[in-house]
Amino acid sequence: MNNNKATLRTALALGAVSLGMMSQLALAAKKDYLVTAARPDKVVVVDAAERKVVNTFTIPNTAKGNSVAGLTVSRDGKVAYVVHNRWETVSGIDLDTGKEVFRAELSSPGIRGKAHFAIDVSPDGKELAVHVSPTKLKLGEYEVQDPYIAVYDTSAGIGAEPLRKLPAPRRTTTLAYSPDYKRLYAYSWDMVVLDPQTGKQIGVHPWRSWKREGYGEPDTLSVSPQFEQANEFATPYFIDYTDKNGKKVTKAGVWSLDLAKDKVRFSEFEGELVMPFSTVINPVRRNEAYTAYTQLTKNDIDTGKLIKRVDLDHTFYTVNVSSDGKELYVGGTINEIAVYDTETLEKKDTIIISEGDQVLSSMRMVQR
Amino acid sequence: MRAHSASVIPLRPLLLSMAISAVPFLAQADTKGAAEALLNSKCQTCHLPTDKGLNRIDESRRTPEGWDMTIVRMMVSHGVELTPEERQTLVKYLADTRGLAPEESAAHRYLLERDFTLIEQPKDQLVADTCARCHSYGRTGLQRRTEEDWRKLVHYHVGQYPVIEIQQGGRDRDWWEIASGEVPKRLDKLYGLDSEAWRKWLQHESVSAAGQWRVVGHRPGWGAYEGQATISSNGDDHYSIKLTLNYANGKQETAEGKAVLYTGYEWRATVKQGDMNVRQVFTLSPDGQTLSGRWYQAGIDAIGGRFEAVRDGKEAPARLLAVEPSYIKAGTTQQVTLYGSNLSGDVSLGEGVEVLKVVERGTGKLVVEARAAAGAKDGVRAVKVGDSQLDKGLALYQKLDYISIEPDQAMARIGGNGGAMPKIPVQFESVGYANGPDGKPGTADDIRLGYFPAKWTLDNLNAYAAQLKDAEYSGRLQEDGLFIPGDAGPNPKRKFGTNNAGELKVTAVVDDAGHKVEASKPLVVTVQRWNDPSIR
Ligand code: HEC
Ligand code: HEC
Repeated sequence: MNNNKATLRTALALGAVSLGMMSQLALAAKKDYLVTAARPDKVVVVDAAERKVVNTFTIPNTAKGNSVAGLTVSRDGKVAYVVHNRWETVSGIDLDTGKEVFRAELSSPGIRGKAHFAIDVSPDGKELAVHVSPTKLKLGEYEVQDPYIAVYDTSAGIGAEPLRKLPAPRRTTTLAYSPDYKRLYAYSWDMVVLDPQTGKQIGVHPWRSWKREGYGEPDTLSVSPQFEQANEFATPYFIDYTDKNGKKVTKAGVWSLDLAKDKVRFSEFEGELVMPFSTVINPVRRNEAYTAYTQLTKNDIDTGKLIKRVDLDHTFYTVNVSSDGKELYVGGTINEIAVYDTETLEKKDTIIISEGDQVLSSMRMVQR
Repeated sequence: MRAHSASVIPLRPLLLSMAISAVPFLAQADTKGAAEALLNSKCQTCHLPTDKGLNRIDESRRTPEGWDMTIVRMMVSHGVELTPEERQTLVKYLADTRGLAPEESAAHRYLLERDFTLIEQPKDQLVADTCARCHSYGRTGLQRRTEEDWRKLVHYHVGQYPVIEIQQGGRDRDWWEIASGEVPKRLDKLYGLDSEAWRKWLQHESVSAAGQWRVVGHRPGWGAYEGQATISSNGDDHYSIKLTLNYANGKQETAEGKAVLYTGYEWRATVKQGDMNVRQVFTLSPDGQTLSGRWYQAGIDAIGGRFEAVRDGKEAPARLLAVEPSYIKAGTTQQVTLYGSNLSGDVSLGEGVEVLKVVERGTGKLVVEARAAAGAKDGVRAVKVGDSQLDKGLALYQKLDYISIEPDQAMARIGGNGGAMPKIPVQFESVGYANGPDGKPGTADDIRLGYFPAKWTLDNLNAYAAQLKDAEYSGRLQEDGLFIPGDAGPNPKRKFGTNNAGELKVTAVVDDAGHKVEASKPLVVTVQRWNDPSIR
């Protein structure tokens, strides 16, 4: 699928010499950087405005089978935390030096622990929360254990052990701290609100238990975290609606939670069904939500209007947005990030970021 | 498959079929002693003896393919080292001692026979909803376990594939709670370890497959065939087989190969048939009198045929096996051929069908000229030669009311083009029906007449397919109803540079002496299947 090998090579070459360049840039006004991962073991940093890969780092000591799953970056843009090594290890990669500055093994003798996409770093960068599904490996059989949220001190370095383990619901696909560190959100059957210190449930935003007349149960697969720009968690969903005449239709919509205000909003799109995979909210025009999959769509969540949709060149799993709200970056799946204009949804560029594919690795945005 | 749903999340099952490709079923198996020594040396370290035998191993029963899949999993996931011969020895021994009785494997033989054109009929809806989303329902239905061992299987699933709970079909329910709670209880009731059938089967006196056999069958696309087989024993349930097959369309094939009989009835052979490598998946009946099942081309399981054989030779009982063609139209005269073994005596084609003359008479084959009376009633006649009778012998009809296209479920896979996977074609056939006494199509009393030659055409299934020009790119349909899918890989000529997958519509038109009947059916052309375990 690398139909643009030339661009790719240029991009990688630029990445190799850019170490110093990036630190210089850091002194100037803050810029947007996309941070994502690519098969088999790469963490990739992209200067969004320059359309350039500025760094490609190799994750050390990893099994090359699975692609990276969850990825989160400290708010200062210094360290990216990635779930890798058959999803049994979380490593912190320093985005200036490429050094592994943090490493926690989720498995231990007799226990296999796996994380997926639910991982977040606290606003001050001091704590890392990871949702772990453990399995006891017994002689000739396995025994599934209750999942938990492992909270680490990010300064614990290599061989980090959890500071504490919080009880957590099964099938948690996203973890997100509120900007004031008062709440840790765990997105599962419902959006559960936890005390980040004790793990005590301090609130809930109904999702599966969300009841509206005529509507069935909503369905989503929320595995593309991209709430950092608007501080708003957003996920597309499908829901069946039966009208007064008994006619059933499936609708797609966007459900979102303002992480600062702890407030939910949602709306279903009108017209022909779209098939979104992930969603991002515009940090400037906050009524605008964009979804990506085989199409890119722009929606007004205040009115439920689908403003525009365009076909993408192929399937993209994830979408993120620039700090000024002007550009969209569509990534995931293969080895490219496509750039679109948020006003017109016109395609502006393609950035080839690696040899390997991103698959479902998260694609996050930081300023530095 | 075009990705239409936003709910896919890749799940990577073990690449079993890649790691160790063809099952070495044909290596000469060793005796019981060698197998028990292997269980002790290779398995017991992790499967300790309990009061019920070896942990896990003695709490379940499987088909030969089922045991092979588990053993390969032990090799890939748990580092067990076995030579191909040792693997074969274990599969044979475990299938013999911890297998399924014939009636226990009967419901899901299509999986063993690799006939994927049927739509499964699950025995339990909860089990189907919980378990049959990544693999067939039958994979479960072809095992027997204790309740506890069924539960351990669920622990394995979640431990190995934690995403099972967040995939579609997992996240919309309390999957873990259901799968580890109610499902093992149901499975214990439906497919428990202990069964009357298996206890009886263990007592059953084993029969040999060796001898002369009279063969009939049907190969989609080529039609009916008949022939002979000679099976000789090489000892220890190992056999050699030689076949000659004569097709009604004039083609001839010979085949030769080796076989193993597992569990006293599970016949698995690899033969060279014409220029194809063919796998036979047959069952030997408990009385040893029939050998029947399906054969298919190794690696391209869509190409194959049904097979039925009975004992041949002077001592064998007289048996009438097949009538070709299987239908006759009222008011017409035609030749009818009867196939069987040791046939002698008068030929009767049933009420309303007169035998005008015997054109050819042999003990294995009879050709007669038959006339169906103009006013005779629609229905399937029993056909008799002397004392041997075939109940579903000859169907008499006034009018061809409708046709139906087989297979039930048509799915082709793109392939070739220098890639590792061959193209998986679909062989279509048109089957004629009469409405039966109630005069309505699609009801239980409809009369299946048999295969009718048809004129075949291909079209796009829907507007989206038309827009993407699927009919142009996804493959071509031959005159004989064989659909050959397009090349694998991205196609730069297509929108989005997409591959040649597509959604098509196949149409058959049968002309029955001027009366034209038409039918259509969707055909999905999808991508290669990279992981193809021996039980899907
Ligand atoms: C190194 C340890 C090890 C060895 C050796 C081993 N197994 Fe296993 N086996 C396991 C583990 C762990 C499981 C449970 C997890 C799983 O199903 O993969 C298991 C599960 C099984 C099961 C249950 C599978 C199911 O479908 O639920 C069977 C049957 C089995 N093994 C048979 C064997 C046989 C036969 C051998 C010898 C050829 C063998 N094992 C050798 C570790 C081992
Ligand atoms: C998310 C997909 C998925 C679901 C749902 C699922 N399975 Fe499986 N199953 C697998 C995979 C993958 C394997 C491993 C197959 C392989 O090794 O090729 C497997 C293996 C098996 C095997 C063969 C194991 C052996 O070694 O004998 C059985 C039997 C089985 N599953 C039954 C079930 C049952 C019962 C359920 C419901 C409780 C279920 N499966 C649900 C994916 C699934």
